[in-house]
Amino acid sequence: MSIVLLIAVPLFFAFLGIILKKAAPYFLLLVSFFNVLALGFISQGAIVIGGYSSFYGIQLVLNSYSLIGLYVVNTLFFVIVAINCFKHKKLSPILLISLAGLNGLLLTNDLFNLFVFMEIAGISAYLITTTTKDPKSTFNYLVLGTIGSSFYLLGLIILYAMFGVLNIRILGNIIEGVVTNKAAVALPFLFIFIGLGVETKLLPFNSWVKGILGKSNALTGPLVGAVYASAFAFVFGNLLRYLFVFSESLLLIVSILLVATILIGEAMAYASTKVREILLFSSIAQAGVAVLVFALGYYTWGTILIALNGFSKLILYLVVNIAVDQVKSDELSALKGLFVNNKLIGAGFSVATLSILGLPIFAGFIVKMNILVAMANTPKFFFVGVILLASLIEGIYFIKLLINFWFEQDQAPRVKYSYVVIYVTLVIALLITVFGVYLEPLNSIHSTLNLVKGVVMHG
Amino acid sequence: MASLELLLIFTLISGVIAYLVGKVHPKTGSILTIIVSGIVFASLAYFGLNEQLLTKVSYLPYISFIQTPLAIFFGVLVSFVFFMVSFFNPYFIDKYTYKAVYSLLYLLSLAGIIGIFFTDNFMTLFFFFELVVWSSLFLIPLGRDEEVSVWYFGFSVFGSFALLSAILLMQSVTGTFDITTGLQAVSGFNRLSVFILLLIAAFAKLGAFPLHYWLPKVLTDSPDPVTSIFSGGLEKLGAFIAVLGLVKLVPTGFFIDVMDMYLTHYILAILGSLTIIGGTVMAIRQDDAKKLLAYSSMSNGGYIIVALSLGSSAGISGGLYHIIAHAIASTAAFLAIGAVARQTNTTKMSELGGMLHKMPITYMVYLIAIISMAGIPPMGGFISKWLIFQGVINKGLILVAAATFFGSIGSFLYVFRPLAALFLGQELPQFKETIKEAPIVMLIPMVILSLLNIVTGVYPTNILAYINTLLVDLNIVQLDITRWTIVGTNGTLNPALIAVMFALGVFIAFIIFISLKKSRKVELMDTYTAANFIYTEELLHYSVDFYAPIERLYEPYIHFMKKFYQALANKVREVGALVKYYIFTSKPEVATFFIMLVIAILLWGDLV
Repeated sequence: MSIVLLIAVPLFFAFLGIILKKAAPYFLLLVSFFNVLALGFISQGAIVIGGYSSFYGIQLVLNSYSLIGLYVVNTLFFVIVAINCFKHKKLSPILLISLAGLNGLLLTNDLFNLFVFMEIAGISAYLITTTTKDPKSTFNYLVLGTIGSSFYLLGLIILYAMFGVLNIRILGNIIEGVVTNKAAVALPFLFIFIGLGVETKLLPFNSWVKGILGKSNALTGPLVGAVYASAFAFVFGNLLRYLFVFSESLLLIVSILLVATILIGEAMAYASTKVREILLFSSIAQAGVAVLVFALGYYTWGTILIALNGFSKLILYLVVNIAVDQVKSDELSALKGLFVNNKLIGAGFSVATLSILGLPIFAGFIVKMNILVAMANTPKFFFVGVILLASLIEGIYFIKLLINFWFEQDQAPRVKYSYVVIYVTLVIALLITVFGVYLEPLNSIHSTLNLVKGVVMHG
Repeated sequence: MASLELLLIFTLISGVIAYLVGKVHPKTGSILTIIVSGIVFASLAYFGLNEQLLTKVSYLPYISFIQTPLAIFFGVLVSFVFFMVSFFNPYFIDKYTYKAVYSLLYLLSLAGIIGIFFTDNFMTLFFFFELVVWSSLFLIPLGRDEEVSVWYFGFSVFGSFALLSAILLMQSVTGTFDITTGLQAVSGFNRLSVFILLLIAAFAKLGAFPLHYWLPKVLTDSPDPVTSIFSGGLEKLGAFIAVLGLVKLVPTGFFIDVMDMYLTHYILAILGSLTIIGGTVMAIRQDDAKKLLAYSSMSNGGYIIVALSLGSSAGISGGLYHIIAHAIASTAAFLAIGAVARQTNTTKMSELGGMLHKMPITYMVYLIAIISMAGIPPMGGFISKWLIFQGVINKGLILVAAATFFGSIGSFLYVFRPLAALFLGQELPQFKETIKEAPIVMLIPMVILSLLNIVTGVYPTNILAYINTLLVDLNIVQLDITRWTIVGTNGTLNPALIAVMFALGVFIAFIIFISLKKSRKVELMDTYTAANFIYTEELLHYSVDFYAPIERLYEPYIHFMKKFYQALANKVREVGALVKYYIFTSKPEVATFFIMLVIAILLWGDLV
């Protein structure tokens, strides 16, 4: 089965859905399920669209790195769609397009093609966020997203003008081999960094997040907070691995930005009393950690970190957004005692949170320890300190959140979760626990990722 | 079970079983905690003290065990505290919101304890350390105040991250997580860093100044059995880490010849002294009996720090003995207060009185416990404090000695207050009819602990002999003991003789008591004061604001650490709010401005 199908099938059904409006939600459900299934049958490798040589044509690459990305994004997408597709029927074609865009993002090995998919995914995201009925935030998102992709475009234009190639891996090799003065490529890389920084929510390019995730619903919260976040983190990781070359000053700026993102993100979450805001600011910090891990060169554990965070985030955003939809308030005080009547959901939520905090018997502990050990051995103790300090603040507000959700003084809010949500939450929580204790799967993913060759030139 | 691995798996699985059983019948689930912690304690004590524990690991990946005297010392002690406290669980389980989870977390913490003490690998140690942090964390909010657990988590995690940093530092030097190798191989500045980091971890766990803020809160507001677990058991994790940092790690830093001591150790001794003083003066002014004991627990943590930082055989054996003595005494005292709290639903001294009439055994337990805590013979606390005093005086540390003596005298002032206010004095009318002695199952651990308090005070030789083998393991000169005496530099102690004299004194007093004329029993209202008859019984309560004159001396200064931590939290919040205000506007132009700023910084050299 060709990897193009992962993009083509959603696109085709998106257009079919516009014609057959009644069937569109079913298309959405089936196609997103098909995509998850199809991943099991697709062979790894690279193909070039249109039969050009990989130097000129658009190359799609499927290796174990992008496969993990696809699995995470498609699975999360399917889950979210399964929970929401009949509530937002009109959005079905758009959701399909966004799925195509996200898969394209993960697969493409072409800088300009990446821009196209960024726009596709971006535009569908703008449309999807209109469901929160807050046009100002959506407009803000639209403007900033466009500014971001313009910077990305500008960066890639400069690179193309300098080297005449758009294939990411080839370009990366050329820059690595040819350019002696790394400062010469610092500007285009900074542009690309800013462009992706807007989408991955890095400080200070991320002011759209507050409007979008701070006012999210059960569809947009998990979709933007978990699926888009993971997809763009994977893309960022991909570029950092194969393309980016850091000059000293660029690395300094990037490090400062990332450290600020991590620490200030946590501080902002700590300062918030609204549950959705707490989640979104902590997402910012975690995005910073993920990008930092990639920028410092720990690709394999970085990949696993993004994947794990994607799943944990899904639970967090889903549970909170459903509660907010029903309680009509996202103040922590209004949601106090949320789990008193929803113990199963609470158990899953707690596991996801404890895993994000990196506490043992959960998978987050393994990932975090491996990253920290790798950093300590490089040795980069400064960043170890940053991550630990961030984890401390993160721990405090997340534990506060958990305690507030589990214990109530007078009246616990009545929130009804559907069986699908409970089931999904528990399964993910179970997996997080199993992977935290039974280390074989994570270690084997780690070693497979280590084997991924730097360049896949020909299909 | 002689195999540590099986013991660990057994505890974990029983935790799950206790949870499932507890779902159906909470009380049965909590009874399981008694059985399981009993088995764990019995196994560790029987096989451990005979050095027959099996360390082979065949099922659990990445985990390895080692059997050292230090591990056995702490393992046996803490599992014993868990076992003793578990007798209280069935009687308190009804008060908790999440009954089944309590049993699960209780046993999870116990499993974590086994892992921490018996592993030879730092990463495993950290794994279990964090496991204990979060499993004990959720036990706290089952009590009176939920927010307390957040403070606990903050300080605990600060400590564990210090520990982790030390571990990572050692690993980056040695390339292995092996505990012995790691502690031996670091040198120079790294060793100093490891030392400081380990001690931060120890201070945070032990609740020593200046990382003490969480301890009184947690001990006051946790459910009563959990308080005992913290005071007698989990706090001792800090002592364990302190032993690693202060004794197992080769000392480093500036050596002060005059004092025959490293500067780092001296600073620690001073911090320990501050802990003692702080705990003592704060304990004096409490009205809540639990809070009072909580501060006393903090002050005793200070003794452990002071003792271990001395580095001499008297100091370290005194410190280790104090760990035992305090674990036993404070567990007994907290359990006694817990028993009272269960019957009366309050621990405030101003609301209680005359419990002696209804709960005589609990009264005796508390009396014996506080005698030990105050360091009065013939109880265990006396032996350890005697050793610590010896150590301090030998080193000639005047300031530290003053602090330790102050702590001892101060403890006379406060430990007898609950005794007088809560157990003695008049019987309050609201409790006259309803209160009974605690159930027999709750009395079992209290009586056992009381007996141990006496045994450790009268015949300490066996334990000290074990501590001597431990000292050999730690490369420290052994303490000079004979069957009945402990030889210090400033004299020889014969605890049994003291006990006999004490008993004689009590006997003579008893003879005098029965030979004298019988006192006449009067009704409470059969009195008058200031030329008025009394009509309401409550007015006679004399224990409120008992030490008000002393309190006035230091009252303005007591909150400075609290203010510091709250200011710190506020600062973090302010930074967050500030950035939120400036960046997270709904104006895209602001974000664009920042983008241009970042680009300008990169191009700085070219632009200007």
